Amino acid sequence: MNKIALLARCVPLTTKLGQVVPITIQCQKISRWVAPTLMELKKREDKLGGKKVTPRNTFLEWNLEAELFAFGKRLNEDFDSDLLLEAFTDRSYVIKEEMKQKEMNIDIKVKDNRQLAEEGEKFIKEYIQLYLEAVLPKFPQEGVASIRQHLTSEDILANVSLHLGTKDIILAAEYPVDKFILANAFKAIVGALLQSSGEEKAAHFVRDFVVTQIQGKDVNEYWAIEDPWGMLTGLLAKDNTTVEPRLIGETGKNTLLACYRVGLYVDKKMISSGFGETVATAKEMAAREALKKIFGTEDHMKPINFKLEGIPKRTGHTRHQISAS
Amino acid sequence: MSNKHLFLNSGFVRAPLQNGVGRYVCQLQRIVLKFCKTHGSCRGLRDFIEQDLVDFAKQNPGVVVYLKPRRHRGPVAVAEYLNGDRVWMNLANKTHSEITKWIEVLRTQQGDIASTRLRKYQYTDHPSIQGPWTPFTFKNPELNTAVLPDQKFGANDRLPMSATEQLRLMFEKQKLEEGDVKTAE
Amino acid sequence: MSAFKRVQQWATFARTWHVFDCKWQDPYDSAQVIKKYLMGLHKPIYHPTNDCGDVVVCINSRDIALRGDEWRKRAYFHHTGYPGGASWTLAWELHNKDPTMIIRKAIYRSMKGNLQRRHTMERLFIFPGEDVPQDIMQNVTNQIRQLRLVPTRLDHIPEEEVQKYPKVMDYPQDYVLK
Repeated sequence: MNKIALLARCVPLTTKLGQVVPITIQCQKISRWVAPTLMELKKREDKLGGKKVTPRNTFLEWNLEAELFAFGKRLNEDFDSDLLLEAFTDRSYVIKEEMKQKEMNIDIKVKDNRQLAEEGEKFIKEYIQLYLEAVLPKFPQEGVASIRQHLTSEDILANVSLHLGTKDIILAAEYPVDKFILANAFKAIVGALLQSSGEEKAAHFVRDFVVTQIQGKDVNEYWAIEDPWGMLTGLLAKDNTTVEPRLIGETGKNTLLACYRVGLYVDKKMISSGFGETVATAKEMAAREALKKIFGTEDHMKPINFKLEGIPKRTGHTRHQISAS
Repeated sequence: MSNKHLFLNSGFVRAPLQNGVGRYVCQLQRIVLKFCKTHGSCRGLRDFIEQDLVDFAKQNPGVVVYLKPRRHRGPVAVAEYLNGDRVWMNLANKTHSEITKWIEVLRTQQGDIASTRLRKYQYTDHPSIQGPWTPFTFKNPELNTAVLPDQKFGANDRLPMSATEQLRLMFEKQKLEEGDVKTAE
Repeated sequence: MSAFKRVQQWATFARTWHVFDCKWQDPYDSAQVIKKYLMGLHKPIYHPTNDCGDVVVCINSRDIALRGDEWRKRAYFHHTGYPGGASWTLAWELHNKDPTMIIRKAIYRSMKGNLQRRHTMERLFIFPGEDVPQDIMQNVTNQIRQLRLVPTRLDHIPEEEVQKYPKVMDYPQDYVLK
């Protein structure tokens, strides 16, 4: 069809060209039809009113009960089926249902997942805080708080929720569901698990699906230290040691690509080194490197343990209180 | 890589959602088996449904199995995965044992991996154990304070000992043993 | 990209400045060494598409040493493009005209003739003597080792040291020294 249209468009051109000697052009075999075809298909789709979304739960082959059963089994958890259904019911769905019921003059109460989500969120935050404190014993409170904030952010929770297969099961007014609804559903699922199987099971669930998201990541990235040099000297002053920065390498001093290496020395022993385009940056990076060593989160740190059983106890010993110092 | 692979989605080898770090989750979430009750090409799938399907569902409670009989259409399996992928597979004229194996493939894979062009066949979070190389690695620290050019750092230090030098050393040794030796004087 | 990874990358791809003393060195053998530094072949991160070449400052190019009678026999060809525009310049002539030219051509010739070669050559500085501008010399943080030992002339060795040098044998009494 496309070809005919193209031919028809070129008819006046080809008749004119007929008088000239035809030229054969050798060219690479690149499929030049792909982009035009896709563009044409998009144009037709737009003409019909944009892309149509058909939610999976409107298909003929859809059984919500079976899906809920399989959801629990897949994750190796025993959910209370009513609670699980409640956890998957979003507020927007309830509002939509109530409107419908008003029109038909019936009144069946449907519970939404707000309460479960609230409980779940509280539990997730508390547990992650305790877990991080247990696996990163030397890391300061501020750092732990920022990692926790990252792990409980909407993006991360929505991603976890999406990969657990909640996308199709969630009862919402509109599909595809947005990130907030996905994250909320995940919190509600944790809340439901908390009520149906107890704290330990819920804790292991959060550990296996949320805490593992920091696997392979640099935990220092989540905590932006304002003044690393000040913090390092402050920490070392408590032990009555002084740190001495030394320039231990430079390349291309007078060029734009200058690079410096600064080492930090305590008692003539190097504790860390850092690079930078200026001496000041290199010194700051060296201080950061030293802080990483103090906090036990250097690049070659032991991998974070993701197998801690139960809910870790809050440890008694004092942690570095950076804000206090 | 042939030309048609240019239209494949490209990707890297990754486990979805750190699967296996915490606990293992079967990535197949539901499978729809579409078949005809009379069509000859559905014979294998019908056999599978009669003999193995209940066992399959029992062994995999995390997978929702749907059966969709339709008249005079070929047999098809549609597998849906947790990452949103949907794999459509034609099972026409496949025997019972072949179908058992294909269903096993669908169950154990993590998504639509057949339609992904892998950019790399390996992945690591820690590309270097010692830390990446820099020009400062293995650098002689004496160079930091040296004033270049300096013959100490510029002269070739890997040449074998010359005959002249050897002779001079022999002479030094001899001088230690005897008192009186000949020099150019 | 985190702050750590940024400075790590900055350091990994930093350009080092090397100095090479051409005194008494064969330009064609030295070119094989210098080219490695210019192209970054001495680095473990080398890749043809990776811009990781270093800068090399060659000094004392006036004092290079060619083998055998190459000063008289080696000819450098040039063609102006016009008929009869061909010219052959002998090595000693070229060296008299421009003492940096022989080593420059040797290094240029040692590299593969691709588009990158001219850019790589931009990172090469050659000075006929030892006086190098201060802003260039301040960048230098490494020295490339020479290939051969620089010989010392007998008349440059102090008389005292010559006198002390061991003697293998005496000339016979009736031996006539020219």
